[in-house]
Amino acid sequence: MIRIRNLHKYFGHLHVLKGIDLDIRPQEVVVLIGASGSGKSTLLRCLNFLEMKDEGEIWLMQERIEPDRVKLNKIREQVGMVFQHFNLFPHMTVLENVIEAPVHVLRRDKREATEQALSLLEKVGLREKADVYPNKLSGGQKQRVAIARALAMNPKIMLFDEPTSALDPELVGEVLQVMKTLAREGMTMVVVTHEMGFAREVADRVVFMDDGKIAEEGTPEQFFTNPQHPKAKQFLKSVL
Amino acid sequence: MNGFVDIFLGSIEGFARAAWVTLQITIVSLLLATVIGLVFAFMKLSRKRLLRLLADGYIGLIRGTPLIVQIMWLYFGITHFLVLSKFWAGVLALAIHSGAYIAEIFRGAIQSIDKGQMEAAQSLGMSHWLAMRRIILPQAFRRSIPPLGNQFIIGLKDSSLVAFIGVTEIFHLSMSQAAATFKQLEYYTIAGLYYLILVVLFTLILHRIEKHLDKESR
Repeated sequence: MIRIRNLHKYFGHLHVLKGIDLDIRPQEVVVLIGASGSGKSTLLRCLNFLEMKDEGEIWLMQERIEPDRVKLNKIREQVGMVFQHFNLFPHMTVLENVIEAPVHVLRRDKREATEQALSLLEKVGLREKADVYPNKLSGGQKQRVAIARALAMNPKIMLFDEPTSALDPELVGEVLQVMKTLAREGMTMVVVTHEMGFAREVADRVVFMDDGKIAEEGTPEQFFTNPQHPKAKQFLKSVL
Repeated sequence: MNGFVDIFLGSIEGFARAAWVTLQITIVSLLLATVIGLVFAFMKLSRKRLLRLLADGYIGLIRGTPLIVQIMWLYFGITHFLVLSKFWAGVLALAIHSGAYIAEIFRGAIQSIDKGQMEAAQSLGMSHWLAMRRIILPQAFRRSIPPLGNQFIIGLKDSSLVAFIGVTEIFHLSMSQAAATFKQLEYYTIAGLYYLILVVLFTLILHRIEKHLDKESR
């Protein structure tokens, strides 16, 4: 589904990603963990080209992607993204947020898109908030709307960039619950998170990043009970 | 005091006509200025260096010279090349002048929108321009209403300067009346009163618009 070979990324002189190789299979849930600054968010953002790679190859769905602008929009239609700070459109109601891209990008019929949006909102437990503006929602509710908004494009892959890091602790659970449901339904997911409980319970594979490289990867069981890399041991000690 | 009231009442008809001219000049020039402002705001935000340079040159020139010079320059300069009424010369000068300030207002408002909005829009497959039109500009426009209102009020008062190329608006009328009657203080006070009334009217309308937009979201 996703294949990354020798990916490099620089911010000026800063070498952020130092040769990443990673494969993600359909329906797999991969959790990226690591200390802040280890490059995990950058890696995720390279996958839908919010950051442009400097070197290496990215394959999505058997196609090698060499970004040009028109093509990028087409690719992004198939790759949903959920942000740490939600990034809902504040001048639109919840429903308008969800139907915006289906109607204006996919040119779907508005009534049809609305129907689908309402069922997605139902799924994330927010159907009754359809006509509310985002500033009236809690953080957890905002993030669930953001998930529904991404799903409305029927993406083949969902990327989550620290989706619960900006939430009050008591609101984390409701977002993780929605993500668990998605994973169970077979969505291919790449998740950057600090929620070790989620990684342990939901991930098929845990990828530990350190200093722009993949230091260790394995099943959650292997990784959490018997980490090999010294930095991984140290990291787990500090978070668990 | 009685004298002033008499002069005021006696001149209402003439000043009402002049105020209508002021209003026309203001509204037409500000509409044009808004379009100019939008174009130059995009030029300033463009990736193309030449466009940014052009916009910088225009804004720098306008901000660096007095409006009255710009009015004279346009009126006496452009009439060499094409026939332009005083009214339209004045309108054009005011539009070019306000346009520079409005460009900066729009640019600031667009840049103040959180980067995450563009990223979210693009991650949904929206092109840069679609995201601009649907996501960024509506928010930026709301944010630019208060400074835009301010600029509109300045534009209204600045329109008095076209009196010097002979457009018979409020200030022009008060000048000619003052000269004819030697009642300078009275007639300039009357001019001030008419401007005050128009500004209050503008302010009320702007408040309405702001309130209306506030009802939706933040």
